[in-house]
Amino acid sequence: MAERPEDLNLPNAVITRIIKEALPDGVNISKEARSAISRAASVFVLYATSCANNFAMKGKRKTLNASDVLSAMEEMEFQRFVAPLKEALEAYRREQRGKKEASEQKKKEETDAAEGTTLSCSLGPWAPSPPPGQSSLRPKSRGDRT
Amino acid sequence: MAAAAAGSGTPREEEGSSGEAAAPQPQAPTSAPGARLSRLPLARVKALVKADPDVTLAGQEAIFILARAAELFVETIAKDAYCCAQQGKRKTLQRRDLDNAIEAVDEFAFLEGTLD
Repeated sequence: MAERPEDLNLPNAVITRIIKEALPDGVNISKEARSAISRAASVFVLYATSCANNFAMKGKRKTLNASDVLSAMEEMEFQRFVAPLKEALEAYRREQRGKKEASEQKKKEETDAAEGTTLSCSLGPWAPSPPPGQSSLRPKSRGDRT
Repeated sequence: MAAAAAGSGTPREEEGSSGEAAAPQPQAPTSAPGARLSRLPLARVKALVKADPDVTLAGQEAIFILARAAELFVETIAKDAYCCAQQGKRKTLQRRDLDNAIEAVDEFAFLEGTLD
């Protein structure tokens, strides 16, 4: 069973929700229309990916980044998407930064806790030797010699 | 697959397989209504991107923007198709409304012949 790119559809439930929210109340959508829109969305992603990849290659990069996708939108004549996409990107970056800081904070707390336990164990078996002059041996008596 | 998540603020559904930490807190301080983060699962979008043989790697931000762009695209094409349905005084969007929109709008030219 060959897996064509067109088979990689996006979830129907989400597509339906997006369509319903875009349209006024009371408007319905037939199954065929909905599945056609879903397929169109997949084709859109594939086309945008291909365009974005061209920009990445022009920049001699192997990884697609956000600006490649934004350039692709302009190339595809979807300039009106660029502004809302930039806003969404900013919100996404803030969220990622927040998550990163939260996880770094957690890691720091865990490391501190671990270090505290290790230090108290290392001083246990060590016992200081007695200083010179206070030997426990008694001095030999000289009265034993005849 | 029961992807019936009714939460409007949750960006990702059960598919937390993209390698990122799942976002348990839906608290979004943004006041702008359209600034919600993507509803489409990033893992599926990533799968589509990887289907292109010329693509080596794609950053997380690129995947996210593509998902968001796909949402905007769905909204746009649905509205354009609805205009055609309205002209026919119908309240249900049909496949032919979509075909008309694709023919009428230049930006949708790339879709011609791909939906059959």
